[in-house]
Amino acid sequence: MKVESGTESTVATWEGWSRFLPQGVSVFATGLSGFLLLLIGLPVLMVILMSLRTGFPGETVPFTLENFSTVYLEPRTYEVLLNTLFFAVSSVSITLLITVPLVWILMRTDIPFKKTIYVLLTIGILIPVFLRTIAWILLLSPRIGLVNKWLQQLFALSEPPFNLYSVTGMAFVQGISFVPGAFFMLAAAYRSMDPSLEEAAYTAGVGKLRTFLKINIPITFPAIAGLMVYLFMTAIAVFEVPAIIGLPARIHVLSSLIFTSTTPSTGLPDYGMAGAYGAIMLALGLVLAFMYVRLVKQGKKYTVITGRGYRPREIALGPWKWAALAFVFFYLSIEVFVPFAVLLWASVLPYLQLPSAEALANMTLKHYWEIPQHVGLQPFINTLILMLAVPTLTMILSVLVSWVVIRTQVSFRGLLDTLAFVPHAVPGILMAVGLAYLGLAYRDIFPIYGTVLIIIVAHTINWVAYGTRTTNSVMIQVHRELEEAGRVAGASSPRVLWKIVLPLIAAGVLNSWVWIGMLSYREVTMALTLYTRNNVVISTVVWQFWGSGWVPQVAALGVILILFAALVVGAVRLVLARIGEIGEAA
Amino acid sequence: MKQNLILKAGLIAFLGVLAWGSTVQAAPLDDLIAGAKKEGTIEFYGPSTLGPEGAQAIVSAFNKKYGLNIKVNFTPSGNMTRDTAKVVGLSASGQPPEWDIMVVTDAHHGSLWLRKLQKPFDYTSIGVDKQRIEYDSGTVSVANQFALPTYNTKLVAAKDVPQKWEDLLDPKWKGKLGVINSTHHFGRLAAGAWGDEKTLDFIKKLAAQKPLLTRAGEMAQRLILGEVLVTATLQDSQLHEAKESGAPLAFAEKVSPVVSPEYHVGVIKNAPHPNVGHLMVAFMASSEVQPAWLKYTGHTSAYVPGTAAYKFVQGKQVIYMKQDQADKVDKISRQIGKILGFD
Repeated sequence: MKVESGTESTVATWEGWSRFLPQGVSVFATGLSGFLLLLIGLPVLMVILMSLRTGFPGETVPFTLENFSTVYLEPRTYEVLLNTLFFAVSSVSITLLITVPLVWILMRTDIPFKKTIYVLLTIGILIPVFLRTIAWILLLSPRIGLVNKWLQQLFALSEPPFNLYSVTGMAFVQGISFVPGAFFMLAAAYRSMDPSLEEAAYTAGVGKLRTFLKINIPITFPAIAGLMVYLFMTAIAVFEVPAIIGLPARIHVLSSLIFTSTTPSTGLPDYGMAGAYGAIMLALGLVLAFMYVRLVKQGKKYTVITGRGYRPREIALGPWKWAALAFVFFYLSIEVFVPFAVLLWASVLPYLQLPSAEALANMTLKHYWEIPQHVGLQPFINTLILMLAVPTLTMILSVLVSWVVIRTQVSFRGLLDTLAFVPHAVPGILMAVGLAYLGLAYRDIFPIYGTVLIIIVAHTINWVAYGTRTTNSVMIQVHRELEEAGRVAGASSPRVLWKIVLPLIAAGVLNSWVWIGMLSYREVTMALTLYTRNNVVISTVVWQFWGSGWVPQVAALGVILILFAALVVGAVRLVLARIGEIGEAA
Repeated sequence: MKQNLILKAGLIAFLGVLAWGSTVQAAPLDDLIAGAKKEGTIEFYGPSTLGPEGAQAIVSAFNKKYGLNIKVNFTPSGNMTRDTAKVVGLSASGQPPEWDIMVVTDAHHGSLWLRKLQKPFDYTSIGVDKQRIEYDSGTVSVANQFALPTYNTKLVAAKDVPQKWEDLLDPKWKGKLGVINSTHHFGRLAAGAWGDEKTLDFIKKLAAQKPLLTRAGEMAQRLILGEVLVTATLQDSQLHEAKESGAPLAFAEKVSPVVSPEYHVGVIKNAPHPNVGHLMVAFMASSEVQPAWLKYTGHTSAYVPGTAAYKFVQGKQVIYMKQDQADKVDKISRQIGKILGFD
């Protein structure tokens, strides 16, 4: 077992490495940093410019602080900020309450049906968030929620016990939907966790639950804290759940204010106000990004590197496996089964109804037959382009960044790592508005407005933070001896990267590739902001259908996509399983 | 004899004037047709309910009427506000618009008109009824929407159906009422029959009912599900779709006045195909287009006798918005949105 306290010590003591640091690496790292700075910096700069102007992209107007004074002198802004913080903290808490035990069960124990559970976890993210939210409305709405009605009947309650239209309700729905992403991020830490303390506890007769609470959680705390910050940053930027549950009940968060500023119910958008609201998110995001980078650095001190083929032993659950399975089943029910059942139910109805004999009698498959007529081929082609291009570009960038950060001694590698993480501090909606602003105002220089390419750029920027986190963690686990051998044999740096490093990290990279492809498939906020006739994708079609009240049609489309994706994901997982273990380092 | 001569001269003069008049009318039309033939394509932005099929049906009828072979590229509205802003943004950055013609609501065309972003044309010169033309000859009214309180017919008893707008303020609706984000419906009442004071007073009382707030399409679903029993307004397009699917929604038809936002069509400034655009705008004003509008969007024009909309408005007090009200409706609608809690 080898404990590594950061990358520096190993790098410094590795003699062969010095040969690996010609000027070319610095030049390459500088070029990569410059490219990332441009890619990420320009839209962010646009957001800042936008907040300092009134009017529209392209209009020549003087700079002003009017937007800031309007936003920050308004007491309501601070109420909204409090709502946002409470929503984010509650969402993250719910996610962690489910994710941490789930990761432990799947990563460290011998629970059966692991592969099926992985596939189901992956499928969970394919169900559009707003459809999942509708499912929860059908279950927990104070007026029509089935769970509320059953509980009221069962316990003769005068009031419904749950009110989905609250910050807590929003956090519950959002928190659950964060779980699959959080799972794959935390899985790596649990996989590489030092098992000796855990085993010592068992030897001393300490129970599994107590060991989990007293050993596993403290030892992985830096990783959990890093995830917490990452999720918190995501939670302050998400929009769909606040829009569907929050807005109807007049509960505003920052993202909904940005959305209503850019898409008002009447008149024209106020991009300046959106920029000023976004400035709060940007500042908050940057502070959190700083915290995240620090936490992750700290986390490395506790991480056991498993480069010598070491695998911690799986814990035999014994009879506890039924309890563990029940927990996993409960989670999958609320994440996958219930939303999918609602989707299936809605897809065969002429209009959305609660279950009843009348509804059963009116079931129809016509929405399935009508899909080609409503959607056409273009959105599918564009979505496919996104699903291939976005993860490919993101992972290429991520591998290159991680290679510089983890494998070189370039003096500004920390800065490059932070730079790659900055997009996570910029809410997607702002990034897209910034790109749209850039595309509209400087169309001659950046002629990508209205094309699929602008969405590819937006998505790539958005997920490069996620991509680099995963490639960092994968690359750090690969020992350098093989690279050194390659160097000794006279291979060039690119050849070493291509022939030795990439095959070693292939499973982790492919895993992230699949994951980012799926995130790109379902992302709606940026795609909607950048939408034109030529770059319509499935997620924007789904959103438009929902806006038009075509729920059964959306549901039918959703069912088909999920079944198709389940097949694809299942096949890809099988391939990945042959390359390396599923979930590795993702 | 002299009388006869005067009569003949008068007749000749009259016929001459008629002939001149028809030449004057024919000339711009001929020019437009010739120009359209050269342009060959139209970039058509319209309501998503119209869809590519509806747009194609309209353009096919258009081609048949004028002996043209125009190709249509249809863009369904994802969000009329955002797309209107896009036109403003493109114009501000000196770029041509993406679309030749836009069929959006009169309120959205009002936003464009305030920035002089339509390309005006003397549509009366090619036979369009003056009553249909708005925004300084920049747009023509194509179809009317109607907005009224709407209820779930399965869950609201006939005796409880609102008879007047004020019935929505009855405490029995508290927590069971919905309001959609088309706050301009009330803005139109303020600019028309009600005035500011009465409207704002009504809105404050409506807000005290703690209504559920959301977009129209989503609200229709919530109304069907029974999450709300009544909505302060819903548009007839949602009712049209509900009727098609058998969902239990109906207008509270006794409520008066009826708010009628209109779909207007106009050619956008610097449009790449202005001749096809103007010709299409004129065609949209004809009664020939109404069946396609009815079939695909559920809307027709209240200005065209015999249509469903024309019949609906008979005997009713209807609030239409005129161009001089556009700015006011925009401002007061924002105020209403804030009171209700949308922004």
